[in-house]
Amino acid sequence: MTLRSFFAAWNKFFFEPQSPVPISVFRIVYSLLVVATLILLRPDWLAWYGPHAWVSRSTMHTLEPGTRLNLFAVIPQTDSWINAFFWISLGSATLLAIGFLTRFNSVLVYLCLASMQQRNLSILHGGDTFLRVAGFFLIFAPAGAALSVDRLIRVRRGKETAEIRPRSPWAQRMIQFELAMVYFATFCIKVRGAPWLQGTAMYYIYHLDEFRRFPVPAWLLGPTMLKLEGWAALVLEFSLGVLIWVKELRYILLALGVVFHLSLEYSLNIPMFQWDILSGYILFVDPADARRAWSWVRQHLPANNYNPETTTP
Amino acid sequence: MEKPKTSDSLIRMKGSRTTLSRTKYVAINAFLIFHILAISCWCLPLDSPLILLCKQTIRPYFLWSGLFQSWDMFSPSPKAANTYVDATIIYKDGSRTTWAFPRMEQLSLTQRYFKERYRKFAETLTLDENDPMLADIARRVARLNSTPAHPVKTVILIYHWSFIVPRPDGSYVPEPWNQHVLYGYGVRPEDIQ
Repeated sequence: MTLRSFFAAWNKFFFEPQSPVPISVFRIVYSLLVVATLILLRPDWLAWYGPHAWVSRSTMHTLEPGTRLNLFAVIPQTDSWINAFFWISLGSATLLAIGFLTRFNSVLVYLCLASMQQRNLSILHGGDTFLRVAGFFLIFAPAGAALSVDRLIRVRRGKETAEIRPRSPWAQRMIQFELAMVYFATFCIKVRGAPWLQGTAMYYIYHLDEFRRFPVPAWLLGPTMLKLEGWAALVLEFSLGVLIWVKELRYILLALGVVFHLSLEYSLNIPMFQWDILSGYILFVDPADARRAWSWVRQHLPANNYNPETTTP
Repeated sequence: MEKPKTSDSLIRMKGSRTTLSRTKYVAINAFLIFHILAISCWCLPLDSPLILLCKQTIRPYFLWSGLFQSWDMFSPSPKAANTYVDATIIYKDGSRTTWAFPRMEQLSLTQRYFKERYRKFAETLTLDENDPMLADIARRVARLNSTPAHPVKTVILIYHWSFIVPRPDGSYVPEPWNQHVLYGYGVRPEDIQ
């Protein structure tokens, strides 16, 4: 590869205009995941973030010093203000889902999410982290360019045509990069642990009482199967981190990733984590492929009268 | 695809009806390169001095902006013990009771969705580096269990664990539970007001 072809590939990857539909669909799913996260936190909201929370602001600052983007540091520490913060976060995430004042709400949702996580770092899982980092890059994306109230308003005012204009996808690429990095970093850290290499890791995981959700079939718990499951997880995490960028392998890996996360969702109790990560898969789907797949589904559905000759795409 | 026009003040990509000003194009590229390198240095477990220096340099920005991240769930080794934390509460009249953080294995499926944060919290508070949290936690346990007529005098946080021991045939036999005192706290009147 020459330097010239490298720059050409870089520009194509980050700047060649793409349909903004994937990032808009991601925006909707992302916002709904934030809403779900907030709703699940609601019963213990003041216990985690209130003036008499499990961990005080000063203790958290002692444990995690440094200047941080944290709205809790500037709002009065009363139950009313902390509750107001919840409703503002929920309202903003809902508005982001429908795509109203998209840019403003993407910034506000990020600020709220980052503040919550900075205020109490001791209750976070990887899904929260992914939402936070993806939220940062979502701020820069044309997330309201499709499937949004903002766009409807622009079309109604004659500022946009009915055709959705392609946009530079560099912010979307950064979220894709982040997702790939999640898998690759996980793989790199796991291969440093003897249980993963020896194949005993899954034995420990399946026998952690606090994580157990639905019963796992007995044949999956034999020593040989446990080894294979652990090694398969390593191979898949490496592949989703590195080989996901190879177009020919992408959909196979995404399908395997979906099966992997759904099986974890079934067997392990880590609410929202699998869905948070799976949301990022949307960004790897080419809209043209999605259209072709939809067309194929409509053609092959029983009892349909779809005719590609007469139906306008 | 067209090559970016370096001599022009505008950058136009093939198929685009929009152009990026040269300044914007350079700024976005700087943003991309910085964040790709910084996130890679931050996330990957490499011990090279250059990577460590990079991590130190970007640390203030990552902490401030919220881009800090770690991907070490179940790794490098999964937890090898079942654990939970509870508190022995001693009242002023000498009576005792036990208070426990919600334990996922004792909750319904729906409750687990809402209370899962307590699983993570109980796991976090047992780490040595989080010792400063223990006084806050003891104070809140005291507040939750105290009444003016029946005030709490002492809270003792206790960590319980039972090792998970792999067996050659893949079977699982629970090991006996062990415990040790995480923290003892003498409650002051202002703690429970």
